[in-house]
Amino acid sequence: MKESYEGVEIVEVEPVEGEGFIIIEGFPDVGLVGSIAASFIADRLGMKEVGYVDVEALPPIISVRDGKILELIRIYRKDNLLAILSDVPVPATIVKPFSRELMNWIESKKPKLLISLTGIPEPNRLNIDKPKVYILASNVELAQKLYETAGIDKFKDGFIAGIKGMLLKEGVKRGIDTILISAQSHFNYPDPGSAAEVVKYVSKILQIELDVKPLLESAEELKLRLRDLMRRTSQMMQGVQKSRELERPPVYL
Amino acid sequence: MSYRRKPLWRILLDEFRRIEEEMSRIEDEFIRRIKEAEGMRGCITPLHNLYESGDEIIFTADMPGSNKEEIDLRVGENYIRIEAPCKSPIRGERKYLLHVELPVEIDPTSVRARYKDGVLEVVARKRLRGFRIRVE
Repeated sequence: MKESYEGVEIVEVEPVEGEGFIIIEGFPDVGLVGSIAASFIADRLGMKEVGYVDVEALPPIISVRDGKILELIRIYRKDNLLAILSDVPVPATIVKPFSRELMNWIESKKPKLLISLTGIPEPNRLNIDKPKVYILASNVELAQKLYETAGIDKFKDGFIAGIKGMLLKEGVKRGIDTILISAQSHFNYPDPGSAAEVVKYVSKILQIELDVKPLLESAEELKLRLRDLMRRTSQMMQGVQKSRELERPPVYL
Repeated sequence: MSYRRKPLWRILLDEFRRIEEEMSRIEDEFIRRIKEAEGMRGCITPLHNLYESGDEIIFTADMPGSNKEEIDLRVGENYIRIEAPCKSPIRGERKYLLHVELPVEIDPTSVRARYKDGVLEVVARKRLRGFRIRVE
């Protein structure tokens, strides 16, 4: 039996009330694609910090930006759109219980849609100018609908490791519409180019205007700034066997 | 006083966490050394990867803000050394510096390199010595 995990506290500094929430998460993993894309969206839409996630297993550190103390995992809001951004990767050993606890909170908000953003490791990324974007949904009808409306190719075979996979799994189990938007990416180099492709599709799905030009223009600076987070994230990715995403599930016939 | 034995899964989970903490400590020490060296020398250690594929080695380094004309790439039979400027509009001009020992000998005359989208890729043939054996 799964023990309830008490090491996660979700604090709403401003009560998150309403309905029909669309929640975007950008926890760091492959190429930091999810983190870059979700942060860019939150920034461009002028989303406001409304809460944070306190995790017992995270190291005892705080983040400081422009003299302001920030929580490591923060929740932002604008209208019915919520974004969860993190300055640290979730430690591999708590990914499962953390995902369940986070999903308990998400479920309590009766969301319309949960969107996970990520990179899918592509060894030939250097030879690809425009990374392909794939969608994986918690149910077939949703995937088909998005394929038809936004024209995103379906993710068909492979493994999804770490928090993105666990959130999708919980989405299936709880009947919460959950999608994973992934773009071909460098495995352990920050990849703003890949994040820009993800943002384009989020923009299509949410029917909001998001110009990725500023993201592409600041790509080099972003890559430099995110080197340290990428190093830390690489360490976490080993713990959740992220390299499995380079493999295909076994087929016996 | 009652004593309840921990279930096996709990013992295993605790052990995994202990191992993860130890790995994290080692990794943290590794990162601290990189950051301190960068601070002392005022240069950047780029993120990099080294792969072995058949009779080649493939080395990549993430070096945004440089340009191919200014990358000083040197290779020996067992090392790759890179020195290149790193121009950041916010942090000003700094320098990339990296020296990597190779796990196998390479033929330095076979090296090809390219710089694309901020990533340097170096491909070299391994120096293989030996005999061809006929398989029966």
